[in-house]
Amino acid sequence: MTIPVEALLKKKENKSRFDRDAELAAGDAKRRDFHEELFELEEKGEWIVQRVPEPYVEVPTKYGRMKKVPKQMMWHHKSCGQCGHIPGYSTSIFWVQRKLGVDYNDPTDQTSCTAWNYYASATSNAAAQAAVAGRNFAAAYETGYFPLIHCGTSYGHYKEVREELLLHGELRKEVREIMKTLGKPLVMPEEIVHYSEWFYAMKDEIAKHQVRDFSDIAVTVHPACHYYKLVEQDAIYDPDVYGGQRTAIVSGVATALGAEVRDYSTWFDCCGFGFRHILVQRDFTRSFATQRKIEKMKEEANPDVTLTHDTGCVTTLDKSQFAAQAHDRNVGVPVMSEAQFAALAMGAHPYKVCQLHWHSADYRPLLEKMGIDWRAAWAEFEAEVERLEKGEIDFLTWADVDA
Amino acid sequence: MSQTGALYKAEAVAGYADVPLEEKQRLFDEVKADMRFPDYIYGCYECGICVAVCPSARFYDFSPRRIAQAVAREDAELVYQQMQEDIWECSQCFSCLRCPRGNNPGGIITIMREVSINNGLASAREALEGYTRIIYKIMSTGTQVSPDMLQPDAFPDWGPEVKDVSDKLELWRRALPPETHHTTTTGWEVSDKTLVELYLIWHKTGALKMIEEVDEGLHMILEEVMEERLEEEGIEV
Amino acid sequence: MSSDRVVVVGGGPGGIEAARGVAGLGLEVTIVEKLERLGGTPISENYAALTPNFEDAEAAMDRMIEAMLALPGVDVRTSSTVSACEGESGDFKVTISGAAGDETIDAGAVILATGFQHFDPGRETQMYGYYEHPDVIALQDLEAMLKDHNVVRPSNGEAPKRVCFVQCVGSRDRHIGNEYCSKVCCGVASKEAIEIRKLLPDCKVFIFYIDMRMYGYWENQIYWPAQEEHHVQYVKGIITEVLKKDGRLLVRGEDTTMGRPMEVLMDLVVLSVGMEPSRGTREMAGVLGIQQNKYGFIEAANPPLDTVTTSREGIYACGAALGPADLEDTISSAGAAAMKAVSLLRSGKTAAASS
Repeated sequence: MTIPVEALLKKKENKSRFDRDAELAAGDAKRRDFHEELFELEEKGEWIVQRVPEPYVEVPTKYGRMKKVPKQMMWHHKSCGQCGHIPGYSTSIFWVQRKLGVDYNDPTDQTSCTAWNYYASATSNAAAQAAVAGRNFAAAYETGYFPLIHCGTSYGHYKEVREELLLHGELRKEVREIMKTLGKPLVMPEEIVHYSEWFYAMKDEIAKHQVRDFSDIAVTVHPACHYYKLVEQDAIYDPDVYGGQRTAIVSGVATALGAEVRDYSTWFDCCGFGFRHILVQRDFTRSFATQRKIEKMKEEANPDVTLTHDTGCVTTLDKSQFAAQAHDRNVGVPVMSEAQFAALAMGAHPYKVCQLHWHSADYRPLLEKMGIDWRAAWAEFEAEVERLEKGEIDFLTWADVDA
Repeated sequence: MSQTGALYKAEAVAGYADVPLEEKQRLFDEVKADMRFPDYIYGCYECGICVAVCPSARFYDFSPRRIAQAVAREDAELVYQQMQEDIWECSQCFSCLRCPRGNNPGGIITIMREVSINNGLASAREALEGYTRIIYKIMSTGTQVSPDMLQPDAFPDWGPEVKDVSDKLELWRRALPPETHHTTTTGWEVSDKTLVELYLIWHKTGALKMIEEVDEGLHMILEEVMEERLEEEGIEV
Repeated sequence: MSSDRVVVVGGGPGGIEAARGVAGLGLEVTIVEKLERLGGTPISENYAALTPNFEDAEAAMDRMIEAMLALPGVDVRTSSTVSACEGESGDFKVTISGAAGDETIDAGAVILATGFQHFDPGRETQMYGYYEHPDVIALQDLEAMLKDHNVVRPSNGEAPKRVCFVQCVGSRDRHIGNEYCSKVCCGVASKEAIEIRKLLPDCKVFIFYIDMRMYGYWENQIYWPAQEEHHVQYVKGIITEVLKKDGRLLVRGEDTTMGRPMEVLMDLVVLSVGMEPSRGTREMAGVLGIQQNKYGFIEAANPPLDTVTTSREGIYACGAALGPADLEDTISSAGAAAMKAVSLLRSGKTAAASS
């Protein structure tokens, strides 16, 4: 090898990533911190800014701004699809927080963000969407707990709503007036926080509670489009993960739990959810999810599981595999959220907590690799169901799952 | 005015009525009047980044670049054609936000879709076929999907687990430790007060009215449900 | 006391030409260069051949330096920087900091020729994996290989069979904030493409572009020969992502002419990085107290008819300190700056002279 090549390799080795040049970046709108404007509007009486409660962790975002993620006092903004069809997802989020002693609020005064419908059918408008967001933010504010958004789309959409409200005074006015009819103030949280950001912020603490060894587990990560493509400057990036050119979310948690994160060439691609497609044009969703995501992962990385952090992505990647399997395609990768993965690492029950029986792609080989006897676990779950059936208990409680 | 539009797809295949140019211009003006519009399109130099990252472009004869071009050229003819033929193919993943010019083709499509709903365009009605119960669910309960929607006949391609869930639904819901999760007809337990607040939002922002343009039957049912509930609370709309 | 000396800051092509101009017009000139040797970016970044005429960069720079040194009154200060500039036009006190310490000299005018730096393609907005994949390189990295007459894949030392250039990296991009065209990358990439084709006749070379900016004579000095004689393939459509696949690199984009997404395998990907103001340009703007534009380049006070006068009387700028510039622009503006500086000092209308 010749000297220029060695010099080049050395240059990359020494540097290994870009340097943020604060001076050069100063003129860039994307790097501007929206907080100045946020608080200015509060001072003018336009809205109330709900402060991130202490204690909080600061995590790095795409252009270097540090974002506050609260450790405590969560108002759980649940997700339609998680609660409806993958309930082990939300259950795992709650379970992990309980294990870490988090004081939280699981409200009934919460509606969906309604953005799934908006992106699917457009039967709504900017004012309605902002009012729905504002109503939920106000509901959280009334309790003193801070919104933690479970769904990637809700999170992305709320970031968009915040941008629109920051930009358009007339929209703020309209929404403020609607809020007045509801007897609520217009509230904007200081930070819009996705549950996966909490997992990222708490990853080392979660790892301290780990009881199962994941060092043999290989994962692929599918980052949710609405998490990091909408209002990209507000998503978590770490210069040391993928050279800061891809979001570090989920990958960071998997690595902290000792799993091996494997790369694949369609990492940036969407899952194929399509919002309307998953409901009424599923041929598109199925084809895209299997051909562009699952098959590529399988061929290039052959993971034990693929982890993601959004409702739609878990649903799409998991449910789309059945039809492809019937056609002998190279699929068969279990799919779950990093919340379920972390819960399993912390010793959660695969059925009572992670509720994996709601999932479709076969997760049993993964459980075996994790050292979990799934047959015994299923028998334990069935025993609980029997108690429910006999009326011995009304519901499975938190005490039951940790018994 | 563009003649290129007609080259993409034959009108007979697309199956929608042609309208005078003035009407197309009116629809386009409605798109442009949206307050978000100026931040969604700057100009397009056809680099193709949006197409390279677009899932729908891999599957359909669909191109976010063509949308951005048509809108940037202010070509009402082409925009009308896209509102009838293209916009419902978009996945709304917003990968196209990588546009180096700062355009938001996915966002433009959101606005074009809204305008097509507000004006009851053929494409909008067609797009909402089979979708009615979702709108009903979200607008009346505040949660978009519910456990009881997982019926095996609606999801035969999702595998046998759907049938397991459907068979055991009530029991398995009670086997969920979070207290708000024991529901079967909504994603989680939603308080009455919250529903009333939501219904007021649909009324006040005109979101309920939008349904009337595309599905009168659904609109009537929703209006009835909401009015009844609001009346109980002594609220008049 | 008025001074007839001109201080030129920066010893690249622009600075050398400005100093040569001043000395040629009969005034004394001090040229200050931060690095150990003169020659600027073409030398420090190992350029092989100049665009557009393929002349050996080192030979061309040596020739310029020799011509400058042959003139009387040229004082060269390498390994030195300007750390202060007090006073007013006609009577500046310029402090030069070098290994031997600080020295303050009198000068009537200053010409800034501190140039540009290559955009760092590892920036967070890019998804080209510059620091992740050894076989993703930048224009100047390829220059160094061409200078060595040995173009290989850094990962394994083998000759590439398929090479592509990705244009507009770090330019014309609202997300990055560099909304300008860097002017030279189309020509440089095409020049390098020709050099690869000459060196490795079996290697296919592609250029993915948004618009080919080959204005003036560059059209048939570089663009047409690249297509017609060297069969470089030009594809309109930019690359959005570079990924590892089967030991090679997968590039993803849209072939906009065909209107379809494309994914193709390459052995070597060359990022045509644009220009940003060099650290020297940004620092000197502060030291000299002159205005910069929103991108950090030096703001010309009266464009387009006066491209070299800055916001502070008696201080001029030339070349890529003013914004993206090719060599032809740089040499032209250096001459203009020298002429303006000398005219001012000869006119007797400096601030110092009239006070």
